[in-house]
Amino acid sequence: MRILRILAFVLAALSIGQPAFAQGISNLPRQDTIIIENPQGTITNPTWFNIWVVARGGVSTGLQQLGMDTLWYIDADAGLDGVRDNSLAADKPQYNADFTEMTVKLREGIYWSDGVEFTADDVVYTVETQIKNPSMLWGPVFAASVEAVTAPDKHTVLFKLKRPNSRFHATFTVRWNAAWIMPKHVFEKVEDPTKYDFNPPVTLGPYKLHSFDPNGKWYIWEKREDWQRTTLARFGEPGPKYAAYIDPGPPDKRVILQLNHQLDIIHDTSPEGVFTLVKQSPSSHGWFKGFPYAHPDPTLPSVMFNHQVKPFDNPDVRWALALLIDIKAVSMASYRGAATISAIGVPPTGLYGQYYFEPMEDWLKNFEIDTGKSKYKPYDPTAGQQIADMLRPSMGDQIPTDAKEIAKAFGRGWWKPNPEVATELLERAGFTKQDNQWMKPDGTPFKITLLVEGDQRPVMTRAGTMIVQQWRQFGIQAETQAYPSDFFPRVELGDYEAAIAWSVETWGGHPDLSFFLDSWHSEFLKQPGDRQPPRNRQRWKSAELDKIIEQIRKIDFDDPRGTELGIEYIKLAVKEMPTIPLMSYNVFTMMDTTYWTGYPNAETNPYTNPVPNWANTKYMFVKLKPAQSQ
Amino acid sequence: MKTYALYLARRLAQFVLVVFIGINIAYLITHLTPIDPVEQAIASATMIGQSSPEMVEGLRKTLRELYGLEGSAFEQYVAFWRRLATGDFGPSLSAFPTPVSTLIWQALPWTVGLLVCSIVIAWGVGNFLGGLAGYYRGNLLLKLVGIAAMSLQPIPYYVVAFILLILFGFVWPILPISGGAEMNIERSGFAFIVSIVKHSILPVLSLVLVGMGAWFIGMRSLVSNIVNEDYVTYAEFGGVSRRRILFSYVMRNALSPQVTGLALSLGAIFNGAIITEVVFGYPGLGTLLVRAVNAGDYSLVLGITSVSIFAVAAAILVIDLIYPLLDPRVAQG
Repeated sequence: MRILRILAFVLAALSIGQPAFAQGISNLPRQDTIIIENPQGTITNPTWFNIWVVARGGVSTGLQQLGMDTLWYIDADAGLDGVRDNSLAADKPQYNADFTEMTVKLREGIYWSDGVEFTADDVVYTVETQIKNPSMLWGPVFAASVEAVTAPDKHTVLFKLKRPNSRFHATFTVRWNAAWIMPKHVFEKVEDPTKYDFNPPVTLGPYKLHSFDPNGKWYIWEKREDWQRTTLARFGEPGPKYAAYIDPGPPDKRVILQLNHQLDIIHDTSPEGVFTLVKQSPSSHGWFKGFPYAHPDPTLPSVMFNHQVKPFDNPDVRWALALLIDIKAVSMASYRGAATISAIGVPPTGLYGQYYFEPMEDWLKNFEIDTGKSKYKPYDPTAGQQIADMLRPSMGDQIPTDAKEIAKAFGRGWWKPNPEVATELLERAGFTKQDNQWMKPDGTPFKITLLVEGDQRPVMTRAGTMIVQQWRQFGIQAETQAYPSDFFPRVELGDYEAAIAWSVETWGGHPDLSFFLDSWHSEFLKQPGDRQPPRNRQRWKSAELDKIIEQIRKIDFDDPRGTELGIEYIKLAVKEMPTIPLMSYNVFTMMDTTYWTGYPNAETNPYTNPVPNWANTKYMFVKLKPAQSQ
Repeated sequence: MKTYALYLARRLAQFVLVVFIGINIAYLITHLTPIDPVEQAIASATMIGQSSPEMVEGLRKTLRELYGLEGSAFEQYVAFWRRLATGDFGPSLSAFPTPVSTLIWQALPWTVGLLVCSIVIAWGVGNFLGGLAGYYRGNLLLKLVGIAAMSLQPIPYYVVAFILLILFGFVWPILPISGGAEMNIERSGFAFIVSIVKHSILPVLSLVLVGMGAWFIGMRSLVSNIVNEDYVTYAEFGGVSRRRILFSYVMRNALSPQVTGLALSLGAIFNGAIITEVVFGYPGLGTLLVRAVNAGDYSLVLGITSVSIFAVAAAILVIDLIYPLLDPRVAQG
């Protein structure tokens, strides 16, 4: 009995202290601290802050969001003051007529966290040091592009380029990250910049490192006393005094922690986890107020085919496979309906609705497939609406009714499944059907192995499984194979037939498509067996596409012809169907308003992407206000 | 003495052979994996962020040189053993250039603390209750404990871990469910120790609840056999107190196979408790091993595995060396 009494006492003592949470924060006031999930998890090399050396330490530990800065940012959504922000740069990049020189005017009055002034010398040093050290992240890019970089004065940088490059500034433009500026006064004292851990980091961002876990599970950042001397100060004072980036563990634990109000921002969790939060935690909300809650990232998961493997080099085959997919079933299987679908080769996110989707709607409705036997208009503009209608009986007022809201949340149209047209296309490609099995032109059964990431990305794996089922029903021997650990290296090696992955990533807020499209030029195409550099993972080769890319290269980043050329690419991609676009990459970021308010949302304040590992989320900090003071 | 010396030499040779073969198998397996650490590093750097063909191809070349992956497989194998002979596992590939040994030493105290506590508690409680249950076979309470132990024992410990997590993290949220200690706490002094203890309660409990079942069942069956031995009966007839019979005559004799089991369990702690550590976000070797596997960091995987092979083999060696001192017949084969 004595033992039981002692046990009861210990449990009571523990329960008095505080409610359970991941790891309590000692010595910091909770109301001044925002707690955010770091999706990198536990950092194996926690003392390493030298972000310029590849894959050595944590990046989304707050380091790139709150500690780093660079010349420009483009937001995936609307932005605080437009989608483009001149951050360390005072203005847009100034190119000469043939795009062989880029001049950058820098802001004045910006200081590093140790009190040293930021100048053009830091930018010059950043480029020259990485050229000298090719194992540094941006070294190969600078080495390939930059002939010389100089500082004509303290706040001007002049880049002379090796070849015309109208998109060179993109290297210094944050989408998720970019080439961060190095503190010259710190690194020039170091013998080998690739072996220097940069601990503690000297920051240009509005926060400085407060403390971190030697086992890599958490990092705490503290607002700089001189935050006014950073670029973010143009938008006001950052709200939280402290920001803790933590590894909260698996998705279920993240949900429990937010239910206990001990994790203010979940980076991502499962759709089921979100449904639980919506039901049980009135203070939690996502990007959308209702379905699909998630933030659609400007990334386009698709069914990718390896064009160097027959018969996937044939557009008829790819189109036939597209016409066997019922996107509604894929949406339900993958995101439980919380998907934002796309029929075309750009993600349905950010401002792309107005840039591309709306202008293309009529063209898509009239787009026709000629099988040689019949003509067919495959586009169904009501697919998104149908998904919303399907979910409404169970989700009620969580589902929008306004057509524009539905388009934003669920996407617009997609391809109508049509096995008859698919049959005609396959027959034109030389396929035959014996009993219930499709045979290839060489007489062997038509088999497809679809690579998925398994547990590493369950939502996409479920999408793949559903698609495979639909192909099997049609008489194709399709199966999925899961490669959780080496999926992308395998895909880049071309060791696959089909895969659920993505090769399209855009700025989201800006219509320029060069971010992904430039690497689709055939000059970068590798032979089978050689590794294909990102992002033309489908190894598509098209002279027509090359022409579009070359024209984009010749025009300015903001030239309206860029959008026209983007539309040309989309039309070509619809005709050729190099990959079958499915949906945007929806990230279930959930934000708790118990301690902080002012988070961005789709309906009323889409000022930035809330997904907290994006460097752009620094803009969120000036909008966050303590909930208690209101 | 000569017999023991021969026995000692044989066992030492066996130990060296086991460690050599074990590490070679681990080397082979880690190097046959299709996961390429260079590609993993590039993927982690360029997956979401900016990447260009020039960047990726340049990095691939320099990283291969940097990680020491140039040269033939045989040259790499010889270099590995040359390093290992000096106790150096080389740099971690996912935390380059931090030495593997540094990472292992950072994680090891957490795992040792967690698993030594769990194993010793499970062993102590399981054997104590098992001994009582074997001796007092008619006791209703001990019968109920036996049923509970048998019911818990086959449940995978991660299921128990998740149940505890929901019970004490959500339904009745009184215990921390993640990490090894509070964030930002001064890493010394009484408050730090209390914080560590609080954070280890749930992971320890999940391991103890499942682990003690096996000890309980084993001890109960050993004691059940011993209580029928003549010397126990004589002791009872001789009026020796039941408590003395139980602890000095019965349980003491039943303990030697359990001690062997304990030594083997303690040797195996260098594997870490992978699932428990991952579920509770505990910063030990198990978590480190999972991260190393996912990153294709075979230097780190090999380092952890080698330490584990050495520890298990050493535990067996120690037992083998102690046994002949207790029972000379063992040394005579």
